[in-house]
Order: sequence, then structure tokens, then C-alpha cells
Amino acid sequence: MLLLQQFVNSIMLGSVYVTVAVAFTLTIGILNFLNFTIPTLFMIAGMMGWALSYYGLPLGLSGPLPWPIALMGAVVLTIIASLIVERFTFRYLKTKYGDSTEHAIPLVSSLGFLLVLENLVRIGYGTDSRRFEGPDADLTMNIGGIFVRVPQLVSLAVTVVIVLGLTMMIKHSRIGRGLRAIAENPDAANILGVDTRRIVPVVFILTGLLCGLAGALFAINYGEVSPAMGEDIGTKAIAGMVIGGLGSIWGAVLGGLIVGLIEMMTVHFFGADTVQVMVWGALLLTLLAYPSGLLGHNTIGKGKL
Amino acid sequence: MSAQSPLLSLKDVSKGFFGLQVITDVSFDIAAGARMALIGPNGAGKTTIFNLISGVYTPDKGQINFAGQEISLVPSRKRIGLGLARSFQNIRLMPHLSVVENIMLGQQSQAGGLLSMATPLMGRSRWRREAEDLLARMNLETYPGEVVATLPYGIRKKIEVVRALASNPKLLMLDEPAAGLNPNETASLRDFLMGISEAGTTILIVEHDMGLVRSLCDQAIVLNFGRKIYDGLTRDVQEDPLVLEAYLGSRHAQENAHA
Amino acid sequence: MSGYWAGILSILAINIIFAYGIFIPVASGQLNLGGAGFQAVGAYSAGWLSASFGLPVSVTIAFGVIVTGVIGVLIAFPILRTKGVYLVLATFAFAEVIAGAILSSEPLGGAMGISVPGYIDWYVSVIFAGLVTVFVFYLMATRFGLTIRAIHDDEDVSDLMGVSVRNVKVAAFGIGAALTGLSGGLYAHSFSYIEIQGFNALVSIYVLLYVLLGGTQTAWGPLVGATFFTLLPEALRSVLPATKNFLVTLFGETGIVAPPDESWRFVILGALTVLMMVFRPEGLVTRTMVERLQFWRPANRGVTQ
Repeated sequence: MLLLQQFVNSIMLGSVYVTVAVAFTLTIGILNFLNFTIPTLFMIAGMMGWALSYYGLPLGLSGPLPWPIALMGAVVLTIIASLIVERFTFRYLKTKYGDSTEHAIPLVSSLGFLLVLENLVRIGYGTDSRRFEGPDADLTMNIGGIFVRVPQLVSLAVTVVIVLGLTMMIKHSRIGRGLRAIAENPDAANILGVDTRRIVPVVFILTGLLCGLAGALFAINYGEVSPAMGEDIGTKAIAGMVIGGLGSIWGAVLGGLIVGLIEMMTVHFFGADTVQVMVWGALLLTLLAYPSGLLGHNTIGKGKL
Repeated sequence: MSAQSPLLSLKDVSKGFFGLQVITDVSFDIAAGARMALIGPNGAGKTTIFNLISGVYTPDKGQINFAGQEISLVPSRKRIGLGLARSFQNIRLMPHLSVVENIMLGQQSQAGGLLSMATPLMGRSRWRREAEDLLARMNLETYPGEVVATLPYGIRKKIEVVRALASNPKLLMLDEPAAGLNPNETASLRDFLMGISEAGTTILIVEHDMGLVRSLCDQAIVLNFGRKIYDGLTRDVQEDPLVLEAYLGSRHAQENAHA
Repeated sequence: MSGYWAGILSILAINIIFAYGIFIPVASGQLNLGGAGFQAVGAYSAGWLSASFGLPVSVTIAFGVIVTGVIGVLIAFPILRTKGVYLVLATFAFAEVIAGAILSSEPLGGAMGISVPGYIDWYVSVIFAGLVTVFVFYLMATRFGLTIRAIHDDEDVSDLMGVSVRNVKVAAFGIGAALTGLSGGLYAHSFSYIEIQGFNALVSIYVLLYVLLGGTQTAWGPLVGATFFTLLPEALRSVLPATKNFLVTLFGETGIVAPPDESWRFVILGALTVLMMVFRPEGLVTRTMVERLQFWRPANRGVTQ
């Protein structure tokens, strides 16, 4: 019974990683771009949610906002931030020579953005964690002997809806077809009539939305946000993406859940200190031994397609 | 290696990708000292043949013999050391290296081992001087202060030829060396290649410029859809019925498309 | 020499060596996002040897360099089989695994760090920086350096030219690792105390960024990048209070928490990175620039004679 409880806990934990992992995998799969700002966007969502509910709008336009409004505002801000990132990392990409480091230009830009955004938040709000006054996070349900916290259940439900929604959109909508065309062959996509200038930002909007939702759900679940909250989640999400296979949404789901499981098991058997080594070690081994991961494709991320 | 056996010999070489057969049962010989043209309509597989010979691809079937040695399984990196040098259809010089540095890279197979890797390639270095001489012989200047990326197309094409020569090859394979050159440049290219041939290097050249082909090469091989359809003297190529059909056939199709 | 400036020169020297350690693999097209991990290996090898056996500094630092170099070569073989995004992730994962391993290792001080006996003065690091600089300039002028830059531009053609691509990449990675280890050993003995928290992802990110900012085509780049990054806080120290006063008089009481100076430094580094990637991804100092300025005369001597 205890094991089952542990298992359920790790699924709950994993579903937080899944959403962020999906954001990573979507961007890599479609744009061949490892977007390091994703964990930062997640953090911005959390911090902005807190700031809006604590301070209200800037320049004294309102008092502290109620938490649902604050979170929605945070998601919107995150999407805007993501579009700003798009403007400066991806919009200007010109591969002139096709050499190995040119494909890393957006990656490097995203590292630059990571530094800018994270440190601006630190400058604005300091480095302390903040309490987020959301709904009652301790509401627990008892399902056949297993205890599940309601906010976690909500997160899981939201994650499932997101993943299913995304998969359907990519398979059946016109935008989805455009995204798939760009993923296959960016140059051909242009010639075939896909308006890349309009479709590429969609990826960034989705990224912002996913990170925003993940950050909001995190704030609700744990009641605490800090400028450092992106780092830990980022690690686990990247690991989830790689283990599940780059470019595969279901891979990100599977990978995120597996990482949650690894974390639970490690804490149970070895203590919390070794989680870092375990997760990154698993990631490293996957990269070296089986880089396509469980469900991924061979051609993504290799630098030269 | 006796004077009779060919320098390069392909026997029943076939190559396919993802179920698409690109080269089928191609065989030909090139004698030492020959000047051979490899021609055919676009997509016939000429560059694939080059890639097979230089080791970018491994044949699915058949053998490739060079200087008396079966080389199909010799790693690509070792082939230039055996005397096989080539240029590329789309120029593949190192854009961020200078002209002289690109030529010195071509010398890599001649440069030997660890000691050579550790010695500086500065002003007085033998390698640098040889590279500069080679450039001078082709009437190219070294463009000091420039990297190759900033130079015009025609110049870069010629630099690629010089880079191939820097390895002292027995067989020089050039993939469309005259593309984009004006008639004057083509003529001087022809004279230059003639001189190299007379000095003992065997030449295999893919070209669409029939003028260059006729004035430089005695022999020609024609490929169509991955098969060899002609192997003989250049001067008879344009009368061969199969060759005419291959070229006219494609032109015929183009004309119908425009009708 | 005042203690303050001695400290800065010491850090500058260490950063320059660190930068060169990252520069060499990057110059061959392999982005190394695990710099902090290798630096930690060098610092901890030297520090541990010094603390446990009291051996002279020359021995401990040499030990640090060798250990890091060997580990670099060993890990290079599997890591360099990955390409593009996978390579970047693998180096990042590697550094995290190292950090995690040291964190949970009692003999290496765990989270408490190690006290390092055997102090070296600022000029020792400066001398080493000078030697390393000369060494790297020399290296890049050899045929080995030529093959490094060729591989960066086009691995496939380099292979066809007869270059042992894999061996050169491994050697570049290993030499880079050794230099990074040297910077770690010097750091350990200059500051008498090391803790693993100081060798974190941020360090790996910023060293890569300032190397890229300086320019990866010539050996001048890392000098420029490291110097800029190290001296930036000094420049900020004079500019920042003035700017803050200006902003405060402009907006009145802004309610913004006073920033640690560190954060502004990273905001600027990040912003410059983003701008660089848009306008001049090769970095500040390019091959063409050097050739035209004719600083590196020996390359042209043969031509003019």
C-alpha cells in the first residue's frame, strides 16, 4: 500500500515536470531549438503570480489582485515574455555557413535571455522565497486508501487536458499541419506555402502558455514561489524530455513521469541529497547510450539535418 | 603496379538509398595519365560516383580498385593519402579560414604525424611556402587579410582546385570546375589542367561544359539514371545513339512540359 | 599593489585561463556547457591533495591539471559522439553529475567545502595566465590549430582531407579540460577555501557566454571576453549609483529593492549575448579583423618577403 502511495505521489510530482518537458520538446521538435528560457518563464509565471496578488498592478493601478486573476495575469505575462524571446532569438536566425556552432545561435541567445530575465527578477524582488496565498492547498481526498491532494489532482487533470489538446491540435488543425511541415523541413515548408513568420510564433505562444500554466499550478500546489524555482524544475523537465525522446510529446509525458519516479525512489532509498546526481546521471547515460530516448526521432537536435 | 593495369577501376558498383537505386552495375577503368570526362544529364549519379570513390558512401555491391588496392572498405580519411583528391560541386572550402590556410589543409595527408601537427605554420614554414607557390602557379593571389567567405564565386572555385592539388594526388577528381567561369577563365583552367596532366596526374572531371570536355579529355563516360551508357572516345560521344536519347529525351520532356 | 587590485588581477588571470579552457573545444565546434564541472575537478583535486597531505602547491596544481585532463579525455570519447544539442546537454549533465557527486562525498567535504592550505600570491596566477595565453596562441598557429578550425567549419570535408576528426576533437576537449582544471587549482590556492556550490550552472553558462562574446575564431577572443567580464563590475561600480540616482529622481520612490551588483553584471552579459547573436554571432574579434589589423604579423611575413 505504501508503495502504491509512493507511486501515486511520483505521478503527481511528475505531472509538474511533464508540462514543462512538453514545452521543451515542442520547441526542439519543431524548431530544433533547445530553449533555455523555458525554466525561467516557469519562474516568471510563479513570481508574477505572487507579485500581482501581493502588490497588484504596477504604478498603483490597482490593489492586490485575487489569486485567480493574478495567476491569469501571470500566464499572460509569461506568454508576452516568450514572444519577446522569439523576437530576439529566432526571428534573426540566418544560417549562412551551416557550420556546427551556427545551429546553436538560438540556444546561446536563450542562455543570454535566461541571465537577463532571472537577474531582473532578482533585482526587482530579491532572492527570497515568497508565500503565495492561493486556494487551500491541503485539501485531501481519500481514494480507496490512497491520499491525493486536490490541487495535485487538478494539476494532473490540467496536464492531461493540455497534452491531449496539443496532440489533437497538431494532428488535426491547419496550424498543426504547419507546425509539422516546419519540423520536417523548414525551407521546404516555406516553399510549400506555410507562412513560417506566422506559425513560428505559435510555438512560442504555446511555450509561454505551458510554462505559465505550470508555474501557476506550482504556485497553487506548493504555496511558495522564488526566483530559484525554475532551476530545479528545469533540470527535471530537460531530463524528462531526453529520456522520453526529443520531439515527442508523449515521450515528454512518459519521461516526466519516469523522472518523478526516479526522484521518489531516490529520496526513499538514498535520501534527498542524491536526487541531483541520479537525475542528471540518468540524463547523461541516456544521452550517451541511447540519445533518441524512448519515443524520439533520430534526426532532431543533431545540428545538421 | 604494371603499366597495363588501370589506375582506377570500378567493377559492377551499385548503390541505393532508402530503396531508391541511384547507381546500378557501373564499371569503368581509368588508365594512369588519362584525362577522362564523366558526363550525363542532371541526376544521373555523377556526384554519387565521386562520393563512392572518395569514400563518402560505401558501395552496396561491386569493387573499387585504386592503384592496385581494393579501397571500398578503406576509411574515407585515408583515401586522400593514397593519392585520391577531389573538389566539390557546391564549393566546400572552409569559410572562416584564409586562402592559404585552406590550401594548407589540403596538404594534411602529406604532412605526416605528430611533429608536423605541433609545428607552427607561420611565415617561414615549408607548408605555407608550398601553398603560396601552388596558388601562384594558378595565377591566384593569396588575398592576405581575407577569409574565403568574402571572396567571389569564381575565385573560390579555383581555390578548390588548388586545394585538391595540394595533396599531390595521383588522381584528381573535379566536380564541375568550370561552373560559373567565363570563357577566358575556362580556357586558362583547361591549360592549367593540361599542364597537370602532362606532369603525370590522372584527371577525372564531371562537367557540363562540352567545350572544355572536348578540348581537355580524350575519353568520356556517360551516365544516365545511374547506369553507364557510353564508354569511349570523347569525339564520338555526340554521335552515340544512346547518349543522344539520354540528352534529347530529357530535353524532349522539357519541351513537352512547356507546350 | 593594493589588496583589492591584487584580488582582481588574480581573478582576471584565473578567468582568462578558464576562458581558454572553454575556447579550445568551442573553436573546434564543440560547445562546452560544463566548464564549472571541470573547474571543480581541478579545484578539488588540488585542494584535497593539499589538505590531506600538505604537498607543495606546484605538486597539487599539477595533480589537478592531470586529473582534469585525463577525465576530460576519457569523457570526451563518449560525449563527442553526440552532436549539436545533445552534445551541449551532455556536457551540462556531466558538470551537474560532478557537482552532485562532490556534494554527496564526505571525504571531499560535501556541502561544507574544503579549506585549502598552501596560499599562492596574485602574481602566480598572472604568470600562469601569461604562459597559457602564449601556449594557446602557439597552439592555434600550428597545424593542429588549423585542423581545429577546419573541423569547426566542415567536419565532413576535413575528414576527406585526411584529418582524424575524432582524435582532434578529443585532444581539443582534453587540452581544454586540462586548462580549465588549471584555473580550478589556481582558484583553490588563491582563495584558500572551495565549496561545490560555487561551481554551479551559472558559472558554466557565463564562461561559455563571455568566450563566445569575445570571439571564437582567434586566440584573442577569450582574452577580450574574460577581461570584459571580470572588469565589468568595476565599471558598474562607478556607473550604477549615478544611474540609480537618475532613475530615482525620474520616477520618485520606485520601491525596487537594492540590487546586489552581481545581478546587473549578468543582465548586461545576457543582453550583450542576445545582441551579439543577432548582429555578430562570430563574436567581437574575428579572424578577418585580426588579419586586417595585422597584429599577428608572423602569418603575413612570408607573403611580404
